[in-house]
Amino acid sequence: MENFTSLMHGFGVALSTYHIALMMVGVLLGILVGVLPGLGAPNGVSLLLPLTFTMDPVAAIILLTSMYWGALFGGSTTSILFNIPGEPSSVATTFDGYPMAKQGKAAEALTLAFLSAGFGALVGVILITVLSTWVANFALRFSSPEYFAVYFLAFASFVGLGGASPFKTLVAMGLGFACASVGMDTISGALRLTFGFNELLAGVSFLIAVIGLFGIGELMLTMEEGLRFEGIRARISPRDVFATMARMPRYWVALLRSSAIGCWMGITPGGPTAASFMSYGIAKRLSRRKEAFGQGEPEGVVAPETADHAAGSSAILPMLALGVPGSATAAVMMGGLMIWGLNPGPMLFVERPDFVWGLIASMYLGNIVAVVVVLATIPLFASILRIPFSIIGPLIVVVCFIGAYTVAGRPFDLWLALVFGFAGYMFKKLDYPIAPLVLAMVLGDKAEDAFRQSMIMSKGSFSIFWSNALVGSLVTLGLVLMFWPLIGAALRRVLPGRSPAAAPGRS
Amino acid sequence: MVSRWQAELAAAAITAGLGLTVMIGSLEYGVAWRAAGPQAGTFPFLMGLLVLIGSAGTAVQATLARRDLAMPVLDREQARRVVSFVGPIVLFVAGSLWLGLYVSGALYLTLVMWLQGGYRPLVSLATGIASAVFFYLVLELAFQVPLLKGPLEAAIGLY
Repeated sequence: MENFTSLMHGFGVALSTYHIALMMVGVLLGILVGVLPGLGAPNGVSLLLPLTFTMDPVAAIILLTSMYWGALFGGSTTSILFNIPGEPSSVATTFDGYPMAKQGKAAEALTLAFLSAGFGALVGVILITVLSTWVANFALRFSSPEYFAVYFLAFASFVGLGGASPFKTLVAMGLGFACASVGMDTISGALRLTFGFNELLAGVSFLIAVIGLFGIGELMLTMEEGLRFEGIRARISPRDVFATMARMPRYWVALLRSSAIGCWMGITPGGPTAASFMSYGIAKRLSRRKEAFGQGEPEGVVAPETADHAAGSSAILPMLALGVPGSATAAVMMGGLMIWGLNPGPMLFVERPDFVWGLIASMYLGNIVAVVVVLATIPLFASILRIPFSIIGPLIVVVCFIGAYTVAGRPFDLWLALVFGFAGYMFKKLDYPIAPLVLAMVLGDKAEDAFRQSMIMSKGSFSIFWSNALVGSLVTLGLVLMFWPLIGAALRRVLPGRSPAAAPGRS
Repeated sequence: MVSRWQAELAAAAITAGLGLTVMIGSLEYGVAWRAAGPQAGTFPFLMGLLVLIGSAGTAVQATLARRDLAMPVLDREQARRVVSFVGPIVLFVAGSLWLGLYVSGALYLTLVMWLQGGYRPLVSLATGIASAVFFYLVLELAFQVPLLKGPLEAAIGLY
């Protein structure tokens, strides 16, 4: 139980009044960000990140991860009370959460959502505790070709399993890598792709991209749809909470199944959104009360919420242990770690155990703090949405641009954020995936270095990617995932009469 | 109005243009093999190529499904809402380069609330100024992060 000792040590690091206070602040900011349309978890973390540059890394990461938990909770609140998902990953919660609220069971729906979310997150963190050392030790054997293979696997699974058009995923990914290579090349020192603009010498920050793509782009889409908040008033009394808590064990099958789906989707870069849809689809298919789904079935709230949070927290595992984030928000946090001078990956466990285990311990505490805070403050946050959007909208715009400026203090970034805003609007409008672009921007340098070092090792031959069993199986698996849509279609033709593969229903 | 198919093609054309730009830009640094490994342009060149292939694939896919993509992407009302939201933002960004983020932000909030939100001018102005003061307190005093400032801050000596 080496991990257990490390975890106890981590609690020693994380348990201080200052850190608990930071958790509360982070969760509150996160709920705010999750409740407001146009501000989501990736964007909120990006806006807060520049303010943490001067903080101690442990304190900073506690603030950011707590904000992440808060944002996930805030997103489900608006889904249930307003039928407006505050986060893409809480879309599936609207299917049964809003009908429940309309039937006057808003308090029950909210409590159910928060408790199952807390459960999912806890399973995710336990998974991290158990697996992280093992994964990190395994990854210590990695050299450049293996790293490149892992990055390749991550992006290939976006292309093959991402749900969006594979070509659009390729475009998003390629553009992300291209943006990452703007500016000084770390190996040759060449100033690449600046086209003579001095403003581009320092490169394009992924934070600006996230603020534009997720913030401004999302707001444009919200405005276009003509936002109407028709909320249901909710008051949560402690009695409702305990009554719902007593009913929680009834959903144990859904809780465990959804946690498993969430953890799997969080570790592979499927992300929370895909996890919540898949979990909802499977819960509906396996339920004895199929007709009740969509009419306010409690299990229809439990399933997506558990999977959403399980995926959200387990996405931290590959980020910490391998340096490959499992979601857009994890990618932003990983970028933050690199800015603080920490290098995510197996060496982090060796070099900075207090940081790693402090973070993992803070994830246990942060989620408990988040459930308590969110239950206590939700009526307050719901009332924020009653402020007219003609005030809230422009305020969010100002916050986004202030955030863009604080990244590096460059006026040029304001224009860049605007351009990324237009791009984000176009991407969302035409169903281009944004997460691969953000991941590519954060991983760009590392992936390129791994590629170039592998090429140097092999003197320019691609055979190095099949030079041993480990790298060979990673690359082959990546290729299979990438061409999965084609392979799946071919298999169906070869094996007629079989029902099509159990693809997650996006009903 | 613009159909979804036309929008898809336009987007693919833009991304293809970006991909080509990246490829041409990378050629400057060489895409060949040298003794010290691949030249600096190789990786971006490949990524540009990937974008180009993806754009072509998207255009072909959209054209094959042309019949299903005939509906308009935006109706007139939606277009009006987007333009009336984005227009002031562009002015706000341009204004902040000249007046600084505080003044420009306060003006933007005031004008949008007054002209688009239908609030009384005084209420709008108060909200605008209050939020600028709030941002100043949080950023400059609490977190000590300086924001872009303009002539007004210089005149009252706020640095």
